[in-house]
Amino acid sequence: MEKMGVPIIKDQCNEGEIRMNFWEKITGSDMTKLLKGYESRAKELPLEYQEAWNEIKLNLWPHSDLTGRNLMPILDGVLGLFEESAADGESVQEVLGDDVKGFCAALVGEDGTKTYRDKWREQLNTTIAKKLKNKESL
Amino acid sequence: MENLTEMLKGVLEGCVLEIINRGETYGYEITRRLNALGFTEVVDGTVYTILVRLEKNGLVDIEKKPSDMGPPRKFYVLNSEGKKELTTFWRKWEFLSSKINVMKEKSE
Repeated sequence: MEKMGVPIIKDQCNEGEIRMNFWEKITGSDMTKLLKGYESRAKELPLEYQEAWNEIKLNLWPHSDLTGRNLMPILDGVLGLFEESAADGESVQEVLGDDVKGFCAALVGEDGTKTYRDKWREQLNTTIAKKLKNKESL
Repeated sequence: MENLTEMLKGVLEGCVLEIINRGETYGYEITRRLNALGFTEVVDGTVYTILVRLEKNGLVDIEKKPSDMGPPRKFYVLNSEGKKELTTFWRKWEFLSSKINVMKEKSE
């Protein structure tokens, strides 16, 4: 039995290592790099666009998933729109109008993209439901 | 006309599909055409969110082309799925507008 146990422990170690790399990847360096790139692009924009950029980020973070990865293509797209519009000589008011919040909601897909908060809430609800069920059956 | 935003929400996507169907175009041009039609409150940001949605739903083909000023522009063409969606939109619009006109006539 002991002999059989040894390779299993070894496997778990390897799995742990793989997990660490994976974890670093999904939370860490590549996204930091992306964000840094976005910020340096934003700094090239006219000042009023930079202000709008900051406001949009504030409005988007609540829609983030756990790591924020879902927001990366959205942020990239917004910068693209800003770069095009600024090059056309448009004011940020012409681009966004008055409803920045509405713009952000439309960007993340207001029809119920689930944020991490929604997922936690859901998890909590099912856990409680399960516990209640268990009590009933007792 | 002003204060149309809420009412326009449901049909704006169809309008954008129709404009793209008339020939390859890009965001800024679509906004200007909608403005020229009389939808003066429509801004680039609104059109942009619609274009993102059309792309996500696979209704348009996109080509990036260099522009005289600024970054390359995304040009949009309706694909077959998009054309189907546009037909559906006009059918729905036909139904909606005819029914609402009936209501209007009865009230007069």
